[in-house]
Amino acid sequence: MKAFEWLSPTTVSEAVNALKSVPAPKDPDDGARPIAGGQDLLTTMKDYITRPTRVVNLKSIRGLDRILPDGKGGLRIGALVTLAQLADHPVVRRNFRGLSEAAHSIATPQIRNLGTVGGNLCQRPRCWYFRLEEVVCLKKGGTECYAATGENKYHAIFGGGPSYIVHPSDLAPMLVALGASVSVAGSTGKRVIQLEKFFTLPAEGNLRRENVLKNDEIITDIHVPASRFAAHSTYLKFKERESMDFALVSVAAAVAMGPNKTIAGARLVLGGVAPIPWRVPKAESFLVGKTMNNDVLTNAARIALAGAEPLEKNGYKIPLAQALVRRALAKAGGVNA
Amino acid sequence: MPQQPTPTPPKKKKVRVPRVVNGVETIVEIEVDDVAGPGWGPNDKHRLLNHRLTRVDGPLKATGSAHYTYDVRLPGMLYGRVLRCPHAHARVKSFDSSKAATMPGVKAIIQAPLTEFRFAGSPVAAVAATTPELAQDAARAIVVEYEVLPHVVRAQDAIKPESPEVLPRNDAKPNERNLRLAQKNGDPQKVEAALAGCDAIVDAEYYTPRIHHACLETHGMVVDYSGGKSATIYATTQGTFTIPDDAAKELGLSTSDVTATVQHMGGGFGSKFGIGIEGMLACRLSKEAKAPVKLMLTRSDEFLMAGNRSGSWQKIKAGVKSDGTLAALQAVQYRLGGVGQGSQAGQPYAVYRAGESYREVYALQTNEDSSVAMRAPGHPQASFAMESLLDELAYKIGMDPVAFRKKNMRDEVYHRQLDRGAREINWARRNAKAGAGVGPLKRGMGCGAGTWGGGGNNQCKVDVTVGRDGSVIVAVGTQDLGTGTRTFTRAIVAEELGLQINDVVEKIGNSRLGGANSSGGSTTAASLSPSVKDAAIKTRLALAEKLAPLLGNAKLEEIAFNAGNVSGGGKTLAWKQACASLPSAGITAHGEWREDLQGRGVHGVCFAEVEVDVETGQIRPIKMVQVQDGGLPLNRLTMESQLNGGMIQSLGMALWEGRVMDRDLGVQLNPGFGDYKLPGSLEMPEFVPIIDDDDKREVVIGIAEACIIPSLGALANAVFNACGVRVRELPITPDKILMGMMSERRTA
Repeated sequence: MKAFEWLSPTTVSEAVNALKSVPAPKDPDDGARPIAGGQDLLTTMKDYITRPTRVVNLKSIRGLDRILPDGKGGLRIGALVTLAQLADHPVVRRNFRGLSEAAHSIATPQIRNLGTVGGNLCQRPRCWYFRLEEVVCLKKGGTECYAATGENKYHAIFGGGPSYIVHPSDLAPMLVALGASVSVAGSTGKRVIQLEKFFTLPAEGNLRRENVLKNDEIITDIHVPASRFAAHSTYLKFKERESMDFALVSVAAAVAMGPNKTIAGARLVLGGVAPIPWRVPKAESFLVGKTMNNDVLTNAARIALAGAEPLEKNGYKIPLAQALVRRALAKAGGVNA
Repeated sequence: MPQQPTPTPPKKKKVRVPRVVNGVETIVEIEVDDVAGPGWGPNDKHRLLNHRLTRVDGPLKATGSAHYTYDVRLPGMLYGRVLRCPHAHARVKSFDSSKAATMPGVKAIIQAPLTEFRFAGSPVAAVAATTPELAQDAARAIVVEYEVLPHVVRAQDAIKPESPEVLPRNDAKPNERNLRLAQKNGDPQKVEAALAGCDAIVDAEYYTPRIHHACLETHGMVVDYSGGKSATIYATTQGTFTIPDDAAKELGLSTSDVTATVQHMGGGFGSKFGIGIEGMLACRLSKEAKAPVKLMLTRSDEFLMAGNRSGSWQKIKAGVKSDGTLAALQAVQYRLGGVGQGSQAGQPYAVYRAGESYREVYALQTNEDSSVAMRAPGHPQASFAMESLLDELAYKIGMDPVAFRKKNMRDEVYHRQLDRGAREINWARRNAKAGAGVGPLKRGMGCGAGTWGGGGNNQCKVDVTVGRDGSVIVAVGTQDLGTGTRTFTRAIVAEELGLQINDVVEKIGNSRLGGANSSGGSTTAASLSPSVKDAAIKTRLALAEKLAPLLGNAKLEEIAFNAGNVSGGGKTLAWKQACASLPSAGITAHGEWREDLQGRGVHGVCFAEVEVDVETGQIRPIKMVQVQDGGLPLNRLTMESQLNGGMIQSLGMALWEGRVMDRDLGVQLNPGFGDYKLPGSLEMPEFVPIIDDDDKREVVIGIAEACIIPSLGALANAVFNACGVRVRELPITPDKILMGMMSERRTA
């Protein structure tokens, strides 16, 4: 691990200043980095994937570790709230079941006790080419995404190119499905970003990053609004290994139920299939006005996966995602299918 | 010295025994005494042995007070780190450590004694510094310029004529390239003729990837040397006595000046013999810095340079008669051992007979770290292919897989073991038709069988000392890999002397103590326990002789050691009372190996039940049953733990583990526990370890390797029985099930 300077600011603006006052390095992964739970950052530092000269400890800032009501039935979740806190919070469990499930599905109890909500949204890709120090891939300033024609079993079937990473966050698909937004503080002030617009595709954003955050910006909190979807939400995560793993595919589903068991509206977001949480609007609109039955679920799953572009070794993600979409919708809608 | 009770000098006889060198078994002839002496007695008549004994080092391990090599911290100790070659094949053009040498805390830098590297991960240099972090930073600051050479990391590519050469070509055999013929057996014409007369034929290829030992304690050692005339090596090793010689050479000392100590170690599974390249580097750093050096490999070092289990690629064609007789089998087998030779048992796997058989076995080399021995070298790979093949044949002729196996087994011991396992898993419940049943969750069952030697050899020299205070110490230089050596060593002596297990203390893991063999090939128990028993018997007789005058001059063989008492001639002495009459130095008896107290040759079968979700490809192991014979079980709890461990380790190999290589970069993509997936607690099924007590042999036999062999086939066959997808390439992961389901649907 490269030696670094450690700062513990006590306010958000001090933290932003601490990040900003380091001269911009030639390689963005040599710059200053904020640290919260450190569950991802430290692993990248130990492997020299990131080599910050300064590490800014956000845990010394008070007040960012709370889950508070927004007064309208929604929640404001501080960026330093731990995954365990989120998973076990009684209001989250009662009114935002899918969010509690998503938090609980992450890693191990030890990691959930330290890992934070903000850190979970900002974690770096799990791509094994990216994670190997020896490999200088596209996302590390190289010229090639080795996964495109290499070992791509775990990679993207949607939204890939020129990089084929998948976004590793479990909270992100669920929060997108719930219409969440993030508050961001930076040297030019604060901004609120719809979470759906927070993540960036490799073809559209900065290849070296997975979201719109600037180097001197940090997430301060996440707003999850009350919605007609929240009550019927669920998160299904398929792991190759139950004891700690990232998703091969996951599905965040939230449905608003109308009269006579019809679907008034649906949100469907896939994880593990694209460089960003992958929302499937066509499947969502197909579901409106339908009644949950096997045909409807099968068709929704087919529509959700239409247009997938598998690589050589990840074609299995299509039937897997279809099965999970059917199951997630049925579970969210409270039907047996 | 206690007087030896043996009345006449023993005659000698020659016996052939297995000897294991680096986990590979060979048979050598040795001379032993031609007398039996007292034996173990009937297996069901023991007081401590063949009972469930909790391990004596358990509390130390559970509380963290057991000190491993990793825990050693010496005054002034430096930490070593390794710089690895990032290329699969490269030559060093230039090496510049000048910048690294000036970095803070850096005390020594040495270059590995190679200039051409044939796999990515090969050590290039090592650094010793005052902290591991400083050593790592310095290693990265060494500037190495490489000439990158062509590489090949996949067997399917390495076998092609145009493939780059992994090792220099043998000029005498220009056409071999990366292939090295190891063995040809049988008559291919006869097999062809027999195949022509068969009612059903399966022609298939089976593949197992290279997998890792995944020892919780990585390889490495602490070299306690600060210049001068002697050194102590703290080693994590399977062979205490494999350390001093090699270390002495590196340090420029004589072997007798080097002491190796191995008190607790975190797993070896065949990968830890000798000092290894990491030990060589540690010694050289220590010699250069004149300070103790601790060099434990990092987890990624461990994956990349500490060896692995040979992969396999097997092409088998076999035929059966409609009555279930396996009539013919031909196999081309490739051992995938990287730059090494690999290992693979020959087909047909030794449990089974085939009317006519022919095999060609090759080492097929690639630019990867050499395979080393791993728990039953070559057997799980061969067993997986054979058991899968047998299953495919059984389905083809519509015969029950258990009945089909029985018909083709060489040894009827398997019949009772199969019956027992079938009863335990409730084989009668199994769907005869693969993939039967409604709904996405399908249950299936499968079975397999294995065999291993497990005999001992004549290397262990044991001393038992009884003190005047009643203390009993049993001393031998052997090592306990976590396999319960300490516990059975105590138990044998305690049982012989009528004491409790905690009345005896063992001293092991030190090259200054009596000699002992390396722990490889399941040879430890059968090598050590006879020597311990011999020493214990001699101790008992020597004590009896000393005590006879106090016991009415009872005959030696009539003096009983029971429940902490010594009695004879109508009198009884409490143990301490009895020992108080010993000379001030106590008495010591020396034990040597006795061939008659150990045996070799075990069987073993495994049954598995799994549930497959045919919509997601998820495989959930439900239950595994291992039925294992092993002569006299020294400790039933340890033996059951071994069976559980065998099932767990092969469960990992069957469903999750595999080294993933990038073809173009030539590097391993999963050198860590994130992407190299070992099963965790949530993956564990119900395990039922069954000791086959119908084995009445009154001898000790090692079983650690036998019990990892049959479960791969059992699991693979259970998966097929559940969902109808035959996966011939391990690990059997959800993607393979889903792709298999898709192609089944296309075919249908």
